Amino acid sequence: MFDKFFDWYHNRHDYARQWLDKNDGEVVGCFCSYVPEELLYANGHLPMRMLGSHEPQDVTEPHIFGMFCPFCRDVLAQGLKGRYDYMKGIVLAQSCLHLRQSFTSWRNHVPVDFAHYIYMPNKVQTEHARPYYAGALEKFKTALEEWSGRDITDESLRDAAELYDENRRLMHQVYDLRKEPNPVVTGLEAIVMVASSFMVDKKDHNAELKRILPQLESRGYERETGARLMIVGSEDDDTEFVKMVESVGATIVTDDHCTGSRYFWNTTEYTGDIMSDIGNRYIDRPACPTKDWEERRRFDHILQLAKDFNVDGVILIQQKFCDPHECDMPPLRTFLEEHGFKSLSLEFDVTVPLGPMRVRVEAFLEMVGEEELF
Amino acid sequence: MAYAAGVDVGSTQTKAVVIDEDRRIVGRALVDTGANVVAAAQHAFDDALQDGGLDEKEVEYVIGTGYGRYRVTFGNEQVTEISCHGRGAVQMFPNTRTVIDMGGQDTKAIKVSPQGEIVDFCMNDKCAAGTGRFLGAAATALEMPLSELGPKALESKRPVRISTTCTVFAESEVLSWLGKGKKIEDILWGVHQSIASRSVALLRRVGLEAEITFTGGVTKNVGMIKAIEERLEAKLNVNPEDGHYIGALGAAIFALDHILASRQPRKTVETAS
Amino acid sequence: MTTAYKTEPLKTWQKAKELRLKYYKDYQDAHKTGGIRWTGGAWAFDSIPAGLGRDVYNITGEPYAASVAFDRKLSMECMEAVDAKGWARDLCSYMRNYWGSMYLGKYAFGGEYPDPDFCFQDHICCSHAKWYQHVAEYKKIPYFCIDVSVGPYEDLDENRLMFVVNQMHESIEWLEKTTGRTYSDELLIEAVENEQRSTSTWAEICCLNMARPAPLDEKTMYSLYVHGTLAKHNKEMADFYEELRDDVKDRVDRGIAAIPDERCRLMSDTQPPWGFLKVFRYLEKFGAISVGSLYTFGLIGIWETKPDGTWGPRATSMQRGETITSRDQALRILADWNLSKPEWQHFYDPNLKTRMMLQIIKQWKLDGVMLHLNRGCEGLTCGIMENRLGISETGVPIMTFEGNMGDEREFDEKRVMTRIDSFMETLGLTELTT
Repeated sequence: MFDKFFDWYHNRHDYARQWLDKNDGEVVGCFCSYVPEELLYANGHLPMRMLGSHEPQDVTEPHIFGMFCPFCRDVLAQGLKGRYDYMKGIVLAQSCLHLRQSFTSWRNHVPVDFAHYIYMPNKVQTEHARPYYAGALEKFKTALEEWSGRDITDESLRDAAELYDENRRLMHQVYDLRKEPNPVVTGLEAIVMVASSFMVDKKDHNAELKRILPQLESRGYERETGARLMIVGSEDDDTEFVKMVESVGATIVTDDHCTGSRYFWNTTEYTGDIMSDIGNRYIDRPACPTKDWEERRRFDHILQLAKDFNVDGVILIQQKFCDPHECDMPPLRTFLEEHGFKSLSLEFDVTVPLGPMRVRVEAFLEMVGEEELF
Repeated sequence: MAYAAGVDVGSTQTKAVVIDEDRRIVGRALVDTGANVVAAAQHAFDDALQDGGLDEKEVEYVIGTGYGRYRVTFGNEQVTEISCHGRGAVQMFPNTRTVIDMGGQDTKAIKVSPQGEIVDFCMNDKCAAGTGRFLGAAATALEMPLSELGPKALESKRPVRISTTCTVFAESEVLSWLGKGKKIEDILWGVHQSIASRSVALLRRVGLEAEITFTGGVTKNVGMIKAIEERLEAKLNVNPEDGHYIGALGAAIFALDHILASRQPRKTVETAS
Repeated sequence: MTTAYKTEPLKTWQKAKELRLKYYKDYQDAHKTGGIRWTGGAWAFDSIPAGLGRDVYNITGEPYAASVAFDRKLSMECMEAVDAKGWARDLCSYMRNYWGSMYLGKYAFGGEYPDPDFCFQDHICCSHAKWYQHVAEYKKIPYFCIDVSVGPYEDLDENRLMFVVNQMHESIEWLEKTTGRTYSDELLIEAVENEQRSTSTWAEICCLNMARPAPLDEKTMYSLYVHGTLAKHNKEMADFYEELRDDVKDRVDRGIAAIPDERCRLMSDTQPPWGFLKVFRYLEKFGAISVGSLYTFGLIGIWETKPDGTWGPRATSMQRGETITSRDQALRILADWNLSKPEWQHFYDPNLKTRMMLQIIKQWKLDGVMLHLNRGCEGLTCGIMENRLGISETGVPIMTFEGNMGDEREFDEKRVMTRIDSFMETLGLTELTT
């Protein structure tokens, strides 16, 4: 049922090339889920979030020191290997130091016509972030207009925001189905659904979501749900890992990842000034740890998800060297424990060794489902 | 009388234990795992049967554990070595609340309930710091057999401080101390202290609660026992005789639970994967 | 042929040492006289809490943690205490030394870890805000952090500047509420002037190191630039830097060298491995000297490009004849001043750092570069491999060595020394015979 999403996800470059054949705009690479794609879309571009390819690589050593996260190196590797040779522009929305380097090295070494760094505030908890960010987006808008020679109107921005909101609402509906005692959507399908939404025109994505939603509700799914797990942490589109977890007696029912729910959880609140409204959505969205201070606000959000989706346990996933998440994991583990949720901490790399991971996950399942073992 | 068995297929050695209804070990065996994991599991099981003077038919339920648990083709079920080590440790030392299991590839800290259920556990990440592998690196650098490291280390009078925990750096650091004319025993004791420090950190992550039982292949190393004990300022439960059978023992107890709960006849299951 | 230059100790050396110890002691004793203790990073806007009174003392995390790291035994205990709580080992090693000291309750300068009254920080790298988030939650004290991530100085505009200035205003309201004290704009203005004075003077001191022979080697500079990382807003520190500048200038005038056999001038990069400063002594055997780095020059020193294209100390508001009369004006100057910090620019773009490094190489007449690939600090190693590429493209000899400023477990002394040996060979240097 999710075939189309899998197809887009696995053949993202084919989709992008076909899109270019049919459209006048450019494909623009987005570093980080904080990039306000609405502006790109309104300017006739296809925004495409850059992910890695989960293959060992040796091309980034000269560019990014090995103590930065495997994800930022995997992303850069895609550019250095020429896999995005059709991509004319790149945009970074500021978050961590890791992805920042993928962006600057890409700009230095991979030919692109347009490279824009949005100084997205990290302190989203101050009210001053709002007017400041609206100003930063005005700059981004001007830069896009100059590059493309096309104007971005308030109307086109509003249309883009509404299209994106529709996508967010539709994905929410799919997530809601996972709250059922026997979810008809697997964690793998959900991950690929969200990840593919980074890569295709939201119009296409919405159409496909609308097509499958009625069918999903009546999907007869012969599958043992097993333990209901939640995954939380850094960037994670490691489908092999998720597949493994769901093959040993568990179903992933929700997540807090930038490649998952964090990307689409909230929608735009329309108050009048469309640029501010778009910016504020990013300021108000469930935060990445880089932006979750002084207060820790994401913990309560994670707890709410755990409750709403009735999870049995939480897997905390962290890209090796991902400092923002490393700064959250021990307190998050304690926080979850205090609220009755057991968790398992795992460290991820570009490729995850499935054997050692499997034993950890199975032991965790034995732990959360102890009564069955005894 | 019903019998239950546990087969623990580790990366280097495979252990099998057969117990009776009173949880007494009646047969046990240890073989090198080698390249043929399926054969090693069968081989260890056969040897354990022979050791106990039993016939395969008398064993009602078999549980496989260890990294090769899915290759125990004659097994009825699989349980992870983490659960089995917890269970086995509590069986061997009933007051165990924390288990430190140190093997060649990884080190696990396991917190258990009085019944031997896992309350929490923690394993080293991909980095081999604080595992038996680190000893291997030192052994290579010093050109000594692994088995001599512990006793030699205990001769140390003025230990050097090994600062690195990186297994890649370990060899070079050991060599540099040698180059500075330090005694082998002093370097070795430093190596043991360094590993102890990493594994105790792992233990603290799950929360230290007495008694602490030390399991796994490295329990044969007297130096390691002393280094961890010094670090913890507490005694470890160690069974030098049967210590490396703890995982298999835990698996056998899970198997016995199953027999007692269901009394169902043993059927061979072809396990995939 | 090498000339044996005359060397002698700095006249201000003893004073430098005393000032530093006094700083840590003052912080420790602050509560005895009803004073305030606060903690935050060396990059925090320390001029702002200065407006709370003359009895306000701070402890800055990075230099404090470097002091912990220098005491290798204590540092190891700290690291282990942090490991045991489940924190990743690759986190900022300053942060881990600091947290460890806090967990153990041990103060690196003797006695118990003195609990701060509040945390006041700014956010520059992934860990900076999170560092004190944890301190605040562990010690149950209030916390304020200012986000300065508005982009490189060359692109600064009103909107960007005001984001920082607005947060500064907000922080003052917060400080008043948190401490119950009335805020003094006069004290703020005084602090902002002192801060400009100390940081500009430090740049002046660094400029004196263009002299051949260099009057200071980098190892010595570490002990001197530290004052700026402790309390750059403090009058005592600003005065000290002026005294130090005169001392160094006098050395230059008299041809006093840092090392007797200077024949090769190098620069390093990022914080050194604090437990292994002998690396710098080792260079001396070859007649090589590190005369500084963007780190020692530009973390505390505030610079500007002069009309002739050279790099020099940035003119302070006093030097420009601007009188500060209001809080807003003081905060604008303070924000603008700090956003121009050289060591801050590369957080956005490695090319900016390469450009500054090349400027230093040219102006200080350097023969080579040693990049410390510092596993302990993400912030300063951000983009470092691109700097390596950028510099080596120009033909300047460059070497890298891996280590960690604060976690000795990641420093392989033997390997590093071997690397230095071969770098010296590349530079055509052999060990001097004495």
